[in-house]
Amino acid sequence: MAETIEALERRIDGLRVAVREAVLAGDRALASAHRASLKRAEQAWEDALVTATAPDAQTAPHAQAASQPGQATHPQAREPAEPTGSLLPLREQVYEALSLLQVPAAPKLIATVHEAFFGATFPTSRVTSLKRDEERSFRAAPFSRPYYICAALSADYLAPSRGLLAVSTWPLERRAIGSLSPRVDFLTAAIRVAEAIERIPEPPPAARRLLQRFAASIPGASSPGPATVKEAAAAELTVHKDADDRARGAAAARARPLAGAEQLFGTMSFRELAIQTSGRTAGRAAAE
Amino acid sequence: MSASPRPSPAQAQTQARLDRLRGRALPVNHNARTIAALAANPGCSRRALMDAAGVDKQQVATHVGFPAPFGQSQFAIARGNAFEAQVKEGGAAQLLTLLREHLGLDVGQAHYHDLNDVGGNEAALVRHGRTRQLLTGAALSAPGEATGTMFDHPMLRLAVGGRHAYLEPDLIALQYQGRFHVVEIKSFAIIDGQADPAKVAAAAIQSAVYVHALRDLLGGDQGRVHYETILVAPRDFSSQPTVSTVDVRRQLTVLRRQLDRIASVEGLLDLYPAELTFDLDPDPGGRPQRPPGELAGAIGQVTANYTPDCLATCDLCFLCRDEAAGTTGALGRSVRTDLGGVEHAGQVLGLAAGTLPPSQERAEIAAQLTRAARLRTELLGTQLLGTQLLNTDLAT
Repeated sequence: MAETIEALERRIDGLRVAVREAVLAGDRALASAHRASLKRAEQAWEDALVTATAPDAQTAPHAQAASQPGQATHPQAREPAEPTGSLLPLREQVYEALSLLQVPAAPKLIATVHEAFFGATFPTSRVTSLKRDEERSFRAAPFSRPYYICAALSADYLAPSRGLLAVSTWPLERRAIGSLSPRVDFLTAAIRVAEAIERIPEPPPAARRLLQRFAASIPGASSPGPATVKEAAAAELTVHKDADDRARGAAAARARPLAGAEQLFGTMSFRELAIQTSGRTAGRAAAE
Repeated sequence: MSASPRPSPAQAQTQARLDRLRGRALPVNHNARTIAALAANPGCSRRALMDAAGVDKQQVATHVGFPAPFGQSQFAIARGNAFEAQVKEGGAAQLLTLLREHLGLDVGQAHYHDLNDVGGNEAALVRHGRTRQLLTGAALSAPGEATGTMFDHPMLRLAVGGRHAYLEPDLIALQYQGRFHVVEIKSFAIIDGQADPAKVAAAAIQSAVYVHALRDLLGGDQGRVHYETILVAPRDFSSQPTVSTVDVRRQLTVLRRQLDRIASVEGLLDLYPAELTFDLDPDPGGRPQRPPGELAGAIGQVTANYTPDCLATCDLCFLCRDEAAGTTGALGRSVRTDLGGVEHAGQVLGLAAGTLPPSQERAEIAAQLTRAARLRTELLGTQLLGTQLLNTDLAT
C-alpha cells in the first residue's frame, strides 16, 4: 500500500500550499475547507502507515468493518464505518485512481480502479457533478488548487471528450484524444494496472479481476499474469504509438493558445452553437 | 435543411394531397424502427398512406379510442444500454477484439470515432455532417493510412416520402482495404448459437435500413457496404459478447420496394376521395376537437391489412384488430394462408359443419374443413361450436 502513502504525502503537501494561499488571500471559508481536508488527509496518512507496518493486519480494518453492521446497535456511532466508503473527498479518490492509470479515463474505470487498489468505491453518478464543480471552482479562482479534475480534449474540436476525466497537471498531449488514443490509453492503462499489481505482494481479488478484464481484450495476453499483459500491451502499443503521438501533438499545439479554463475544460464554442440552434432542431430531435 | 430537389408539378400535387391527409399537425419523422415496421407489413395501405403523409398515428389512435400501450420496456432499454456501454468501454475494447477475429482486422486498425456529439453539439444535422465527412474520408483514404475503423453512433439520413429521417446505428466498422460493415448491438442472448427468431428478424430489418442509408451516403455504391451485418449480443447466460453475421439481402429488397412504394404514393392516393383527411381539428391548446366517429370513418375508408405481428410495430394495432375481429387474417398469416379465400371465421365454421353450401372455388377447402371437423368430433366427442355465430355472421 506504499502507493497510498505516497499519494497522500503529495496531497498533504498540496493542501498545505492551498491553506497558505487561501489564508493569504483572506478567503476564510476556503481556508477552513482546505484545513479540514488536510486534517482528514493526515489522519488517512497515519492509518495507511499503521496498515503498511503491519501487513498481517492489512485486512483487519475491513474485517472489523464487515462485522460491525451485524452489531450496529448505535446507528449514530462516531465515525460510521462503511466497508466500501472512503474518508477522502471524492475528488481526491478520483485523483488517486487517475494518478495510478496516468491516462484519461471514464468514471466507471476510475471507480473500478479505486475499488481494486484503494479498497473504496463511489457511485459513478457523483463523478459527473464533480467535473462541473471543479470547473466552477477554477473559474471563480483560477489555479488556486494544486490540481483540478478536468476534461480530456477531443483532438478535432478541442471540446471536452465525452465521459473522460483527466488531471490538470498532466501535459496537454496526454489530455488530447485523437482517433487512436482510446486504444492507446486502454493499453497504457492495462500496463499501469499490471505494474501496480506487481508492486503489491498479495494483490486483492478485485485488482486481479480488473487485470483479467484488460487481458481479455489484448491480443496475446491469454494468461492474465501481470508480466504477460504488460508485454502484450506494449507490443500492440508500438504499432499505434507514432501515429497517435503525432495526432495528439498536433492537437496539443492547437490547444496551447487557449485560455486557462478552455484549455482545462474544453472549448465552449460548439456547445454554445448547439444551444443557439437547439430551438430550430428541437422538433427534429424529439422525433428521433 | 432539406436538400431535396425542386419538386415537379405532379410531385407538388401529391405533396398537397398528403398535407391534406395529415391536416394541421406537424409531420412525424421516421426512424429506423418505423421504417422497419413499414417493411414488415408491405400489404397495408393504411399504414403506407399514413406514413407517407407523416400522420401522428399515436395521436390518431388515441383520439378514436384505441391508444396503443406502445414503446420499449424501461427494463429492456436499461439492459440494452448497459450492454452497449460494456462492449464500447475503453475505446470499444471488447468489440474490437470480436471484430478483429471476425473481420480479420489489422492490428493497426483500432481507430475509434465518437459521433455521439460533435464538440458537445448533439444536433442531428451537425452530427450527420460530421458523419458524412468522416465516413467518406475513411472510404477514400489510401490503404496504408487508414483514418477510421469504428464509428460510434454515426448519424445517417434517409429520404422517406420527401422528408429526411435521421438514423443512428450502434456502430459502423470499416474492414481494412475493404467494405463497411454495420454493427448492431442487441441485449437479447444468443444461447448455444441460437437466438429468438423474431428478435433476430427485427434486428435484421433494422440493420438493413442502416445498410441502405449508408449506401445512400456513400453515393449509392452497393459494393462499399457489405450486405452481411454484424450482430453483437450476450453469449449464453453470461454478459460476454459474441458475434454473428446476419445476411440482409432479402430485407434490403423488401425495404427498397417499400421505399419506392412510398415515393410512388400517387397510385394509392387515387383510390381515395380528395377530401379524405385524418386531421384532428386541434383547438389552440392542441387538444383534438374532431368527433372521434368522423375520424374513425375516415380511417375506415382506407383498407388495413391486420396481422398479429402489427401488435409489436404499429400504433394503430388495436384499432385494426378491433376491425379485423372475426376474420381469418386476425388469427395470423399462417391461418390466412391455410384458409385461402375464406374471409371470416364464421364462414370457416359453416363450411366445416356443412351448414354453408360451398361455392365451386371453395370446394377443396370445404372438403378439408369437413374432414378436420369429423376428426375433431371423433376425438373429443362434441359437436362443432359456432353454429350460432355462423348465423349472425352470415346475416351481416
